[in-house]
Amino acid sequence: MADQPTNHPETNVATTGLQSNVAMLAEVSPQGRKPRRSPFGNALTHIVLWIICAAAIIPFLWMVSTSLKTLEDAMAFPPTWWPSPFQWHNYMDVLTSKKANFLLWTRNTLVIAVLAVAGTTLSSAVVAYGFSKVKFKGRGPLFALMLSTMMVPFPVTMVSLFVLFRWLGDTTGVPWLGTFKPLWLPAWFGSAFNIFLLRQFFITIPDELSEAARIDGCSEVGIFFRIILPLARPALAVVALFAFMGVWNDFLGPLIYLQRPEQFTLALGLQNFQSQQGGTPWQLLMAASVLVILPVLILFFIAQRTFIEGIATTGIKG
Amino acid sequence: MRTQSKELKDFLKGMGFLSPWVIGFVLFTAIPIGLSLYYSFCDYSLLQPPAYIGWANYRELFHDPIFWKTVRNTFLYAIVALPAGMFIALGVAILLNVKMRGQTIYRTIVFLPSLVPAVASAMLWLWLFNAKLGLINLALRKIGISEPPLWLADATWAMPALILMSFWGVGNTVIIYLAGLQDVPKELYEAADLDGAGAFQKVWHVTLPSISPVIFFNLVMGIIGTLQVFGTPYIMTGGGPARSTYFYTMYLYDNAFTYLRMGYASAMAWVQLLVVIALTALAAWTSKHWVHYQGK
Amino acid sequence: MRVLRIALIILLIGPGLGLLFFGPRDTAELPRDRVIVDYWEKWTGNEETQMRSIVNAFNDTVGKEKGIFVRYLSTSSVNQKTLIATAAGVPPDIAGIWDPNVPQFAAMDALEPLDGLAEAHGITAGTYKPVHWKACHYDGKLYALISTPYDVALHYNKSLFAAKSTELRAAGLDPDRPPNTIAELDAYAKVLDTLNPDGSIQVAGYLPLEPGWYATYTPFWFGGSWWDDENKRFTFTDPKVVRSFEWIQSYYRRLGQSAMSEFRSGTGNFDSPQNPFMAETLAMEQQGTFLANYIHNTKPSMDGRWAAAAFPSDDPALTDVTYCTADVLVIPRGAKHVNEAFEFIAYVNRQDVMERLCSMHCKTSPLANVSAKFMNEHANPYIAVFERLAASPNAHGTPPVPILPQVGEELGNFFQRLSSLEITPAEELPLMQARLQKKYDEFIKRQNNRKKPADEMPGQSLEN
Repeated sequence: MADQPTNHPETNVATTGLQSNVAMLAEVSPQGRKPRRSPFGNALTHIVLWIICAAAIIPFLWMVSTSLKTLEDAMAFPPTWWPSPFQWHNYMDVLTSKKANFLLWTRNTLVIAVLAVAGTTLSSAVVAYGFSKVKFKGRGPLFALMLSTMMVPFPVTMVSLFVLFRWLGDTTGVPWLGTFKPLWLPAWFGSAFNIFLLRQFFITIPDELSEAARIDGCSEVGIFFRIILPLARPALAVVALFAFMGVWNDFLGPLIYLQRPEQFTLALGLQNFQSQQGGTPWQLLMAASVLVILPVLILFFIAQRTFIEGIATTGIKG
Repeated sequence: MRTQSKELKDFLKGMGFLSPWVIGFVLFTAIPIGLSLYYSFCDYSLLQPPAYIGWANYRELFHDPIFWKTVRNTFLYAIVALPAGMFIALGVAILLNVKMRGQTIYRTIVFLPSLVPAVASAMLWLWLFNAKLGLINLALRKIGISEPPLWLADATWAMPALILMSFWGVGNTVIIYLAGLQDVPKELYEAADLDGAGAFQKVWHVTLPSISPVIFFNLVMGIIGTLQVFGTPYIMTGGGPARSTYFYTMYLYDNAFTYLRMGYASAMAWVQLLVVIALTALAAWTSKHWVHYQGK
Repeated sequence: MRVLRIALIILLIGPGLGLLFFGPRDTAELPRDRVIVDYWEKWTGNEETQMRSIVNAFNDTVGKEKGIFVRYLSTSSVNQKTLIATAAGVPPDIAGIWDPNVPQFAAMDALEPLDGLAEAHGITAGTYKPVHWKACHYDGKLYALISTPYDVALHYNKSLFAAKSTELRAAGLDPDRPPNTIAELDAYAKVLDTLNPDGSIQVAGYLPLEPGWYATYTPFWFGGSWWDDENKRFTFTDPKVVRSFEWIQSYYRRLGQSAMSEFRSGTGNFDSPQNPFMAETLAMEQQGTFLANYIHNTKPSMDGRWAAAAFPSDDPALTDVTYCTADVLVIPRGAKHVNEAFEFIAYVNRQDVMERLCSMHCKTSPLANVSAKFMNEHANPYIAVFERLAASPNAHGTPPVPILPQVGEELGNFFQRLSSLEITPAEELPLMQARLQKKYDEFIKRQNNRKKPADEMPGQSLEN
């Protein structure tokens, strides 16, 4: 009953409104725009872009090529491009290596990622709702304060966070350090970037929608869950995606908080694998790197638009 | 009476929604920053209770040659890698903004490297920079440079190597510029066309001023980002050779977690915070002179 | 396109969920009726398997009797991880670190003193060789016991010597024996060097920084040391120390920095066939007792073609000089099961167990008494040389400096600049001496300053 209005024309108004907002900030391939001619002549542009793309892609090819060689081939001088024969078992060797446990590390990363993504998406949305849809005294200054915390680099707080988590462990009687908690729990308290992103999104949703629901007797929490969240799906996807990338790529956090290899994340595990090997079984290191990169690349091809919009609006690297 | 209670009710409602952030802010930002300040005046190893030592940590920092070395390295990296990267990204973005065949493919390829997790790209570039077997020196030898640099093994070339490598990941900055370029009103280009402006003049007089807010944004984020560089040099060089790639955050990390000098590390953290604030303020202040916000 | 997208989504989500729900876990089956002792150890690969066999043997015998179960957890950078975990209040019960870490850890109150427990188990000064017993102490207290020790010697490739026998003889050197003095080592190295036409190194006679693990301790072979333990002072300006580092630099002057660096970037990891000594592109190497094991496992065709001898010293009167170091077992402060942990440490220090472990790891024994069986069945054909060196009066341990990480950082930087010929030891060492002495004095001052309030307010301790 209460959510009935959301199925009706107003919804479309709202969605197009926020779509155009994202489009304005992020639309990268402009449709219906007049083709712009190259300022430097077409052929030259193509050549320059070819060179740039070669520079971008050759490292990948080299990585894959090395990952399929024997160690002797990889270290042969001068090196060759084409592995012969292809050593596909390198990938199995990495996955079953006694010095590494990539499956466990992937699972650890996924556990942290699921908890962190769920936490940051939900909590940032709740807070963003407060910053955009509830009018109260002190909102402006608080918002400014929140924005300013975006500037605080992690290294600034890492030492005292470490002490703080130690204290939390001592006080609660359950260890915090040496567990995943420091890596995902803070995500449940919102992150400034995500709150900002979602707030920008929420303010484009017309208030009439919430008003109508309020008149229908819907509570503030009901409005948030039944009206705002469904409408904000594209923005939530951006937040979730980047939270996931954040966990997948994070190195310093796990380095500080995790000590046992059984708990490592993939990024930390990869570095551990390299340092333990002294860095020389290049074919295995490259195979391991390919395995770490591959899921991200697949994710990108699935959610290309979300990626591009996310980067364009927030400017954060995943 | 009534309005007051409504105001209070709204405030409570608002704070209810804000509460996760408020708690998180207090616990994970405000308290740690405050604690850092306190510890920065202490000698603290975590294994023994903190002992107050006044300004000693800051005084020691001031006379610590390694501290200054890491400051120098970090700024060197920031001053070279950041503007050069922004320049390259802008150039690529302008090229990619041209409507042409294969545009989507070009954009995708340029973007791909910035997806690579820092640890994996460190592995890859360690291999590419290998003095004997690396692809880069292989290419350099091919084009007739018989004694190419030893890159990461040479104190003179390690930093340039890291800077060079950073350009590989400019893809996301390119995307930000591309988004910014969409907002340049095409009337401005048309007007410039009427004035008979050439390609470079258009870039200089139309494109750059129009996207200056984006440049500004990238600059601020870039400053904060470069001051935190850690993973890549930590994995690739460990700060060497001869401390030539020892970055500020690495030294902070070492003080905290190798030497267990939490107080000294906290002093470094506070210095870093103040520098970030100062640089951001500076960027904001100078931006008045070169950032043109369109009237929206 | 749509089909592809869906296929990709399935490809990503499927294994993801599979891993989440059915993937490997960080929980092993542990016996419920026993005290679980967590043991962090650095070893992976063969050494891990071997140590695990000791752990299993303990769990099946003494552990079963006394209700203790040791859980082996392999941990990289174990020293740093242990220190952080101890600071974090979540230390393991036992950590397998290196003896050079002991002074730093002990000075920072990161370790449980073991004197009482060791005495109760009958482990006393007479149990160990003197150099090892000393290395387990800091400031008069026992903080560690040894798992496996080793000492370093000169390893040389007999085939490479033989291949150049004419040239060696022409230079007045005997191809059938190793060099006895530093001057001789240099002479051998020069003859054994084989350069490519472009100046790059094909075979190197000797490279002081390959692998360079013990370069820091080079002064021992020159009759000096950079630490005076009686006066608690660094002695980097001691002429013998200066000379020893000048000797290292002489190789870089002779062969050129770029040739050396290029040689090194083409070499492989220590335990790979690309290790230059095993690739037979390096004729002489300073390395520890365990190298025999790696040669045998990685390049069995080299068995019998190499030999080990005391690393030559500068002064011919100075014989059997070596650097001894060890993997040690410590109990971090705040460990939950100190007594149970020590049961395992004591078990490892039983002569039979110790000799089994040390011979598996292909290392010397730290114990004063060495059985004939150990000597006869050891995998290293030169075990007698290594045992003799370890018991020699010229065997040196790591200087007990509590700021060793800082010293290591300084020296690492020093060697890098030394090898690029940017500095000379005579110029740089006085500066380093001043910097490190200041760091040490400040460290001691801080420690004294710290300990006062801790003693006055015992309740303030973070121990619990």
